[in-house]
Amino acid sequence: MTETSVILALVVVTALGFDFTNGFHDTANAMATSIATRALRPKVAVALSGLLNLIGAFLSVEVALTVTNAVVKIQNSNGTPRAGLLADGGTALLLIVLAGLVGGIVWNLLTWLLGLPSSSSHALFGGLIGATVAGLGWSGVNWNGDGSKLDGVVGKVILPALMSPVIAGVVAAAGTWLIYRITAGVARRFTDNGFRWGQIGSASLVSLAHGTNDAQKTMGVITLALIAAGDWTDPRSIPFWVKASCALAIALGTYLGGWRIIRTLGKGLVEIAPPQGLAAESASAAVILASSHLGFALSTTHVATGSILGSGVGRPGARVRWRVAGRMVAAWLITLPAAALAGALMWWIGHLLGGGPAGGLAVFVLLLAAATAMYLRSRRAPVDHENVNDEWEDARPAERVPAGVAR
Amino acid sequence: MHNLGFALEGAWQVLAAGLLLGAGLPALFGLGIRALAYGAGGDAEEHAAGVRGPAAHRLGTVAAWLLFALVLAGVALGITFIVASGFGKTLSFAHLVPTLVDK
Repeated sequence: MTETSVILALVVVTALGFDFTNGFHDTANAMATSIATRALRPKVAVALSGLLNLIGAFLSVEVALTVTNAVVKIQNSNGTPRAGLLADGGTALLLIVLAGLVGGIVWNLLTWLLGLPSSSSHALFGGLIGATVAGLGWSGVNWNGDGSKLDGVVGKVILPALMSPVIAGVVAAAGTWLIYRITAGVARRFTDNGFRWGQIGSASLVSLAHGTNDAQKTMGVITLALIAAGDWTDPRSIPFWVKASCALAIALGTYLGGWRIIRTLGKGLVEIAPPQGLAAESASAAVILASSHLGFALSTTHVATGSILGSGVGRPGARVRWRVAGRMVAAWLITLPAAALAGALMWWIGHLLGGGPAGGLAVFVLLLAAATAMYLRSRRAPVDHENVNDEWEDARPAERVPAGVAR
Repeated sequence: MHNLGFALEGAWQVLAAGLLLGAGLPALFGLGIRALAYGAGGDAEEHAAGVRGPAAHRLGTVAAWLLFALVLAGVALGITFIVASGFGKTLSFAHLVPTLVDK
């Protein structure tokens, strides 16, 4: 085995690991509402979502090989790696990708531990940006595009993140309001039963769209690494094993279910009734599909959260826990910089150890250590399919306010 | 600031499509439920306690299933779109009737 192939193997394994966290982090986007309203039993919901993600991932024939171009400059516009990074058998590029992926995974796991639905694509982009800044300097990042189209960190990441939750929220609020107006006078039990079916259908659509959107990002990253290492040459297609393994990784992750996040989205934000669930998931599905049709990149997580909030706003008398929403927004704001910091740190560690197999292995071991630590921490207060729907308690006592301070 | 312009341009289109499909279809579905309850009569509709509910109306049931079929057609369109974009095709609404065209 050459030095390059050792790092390449690490990149592939880490990328699949990221895909896996992407899966369980985002189960909630599609299924949290159906689980909260008991339209589906928790285990059935994650199984259905996993299956649809698998199908969706296989349907993404169109390859996102240029996925990193939106934020960093390590690829040419046709998808091949930049020539300057290919010295030493491509290890320079591989180390950047590896460090970026590790940054993304670490942030995904941390937010999962805290039960916060943060965006997996932001985590990935953040990690890549951090590793690129560390490796190539600030000019290696595509901050603002070239002005010809929506591009760069600002255009592809920040602006959509600001706008998409608001759009989804408005759509879901309008849908919820309409549904409650239209079905006024129909017996509650009758409506709930009918809306359950609508909820299952719309949630399935979100799962399918998620599989097609998110799995291909990892497929693109792995193929980029293969090209850099000289194991693949065609920038317009991807090896079948890459597609199959990415599809399986995201489906398995989805099936595992990020129960902590499902709980926050399904029970923490809004107490959801079946009509709201239908409105929220339909809004998510419509906004995700419409944006990908228009090439408007966005995060499924931001859309789903905005939709669920909107379904709370649109129902007269519903209670929205703005405090929980505030924590989420805070997590969104720091996702990109935090993942970037982790990515940069990983690159420096790998670089200090020579940037070769030793550096790659060190980064990988650090990842394993962090993942294990967070997993063990999560076992102290486990959330699983048994207790995911327990009553949400605003357990935390109100913060102490010093006497005399006006609230 | 060119990015802001592009983003706003995309945003209102997404909002329009989202409202039409993401709020419109659920509203149709709600209308279907409403019609179904009108069709079923009795306890499906709220009525004063102690009296018999309104009578059943065949028309309501028919209307309900028509509405559900319409919603299903909308969802089918959504799935077609997902699958088509995976194969390098896209849905065109240029002639009102959705058709598959190359990207």
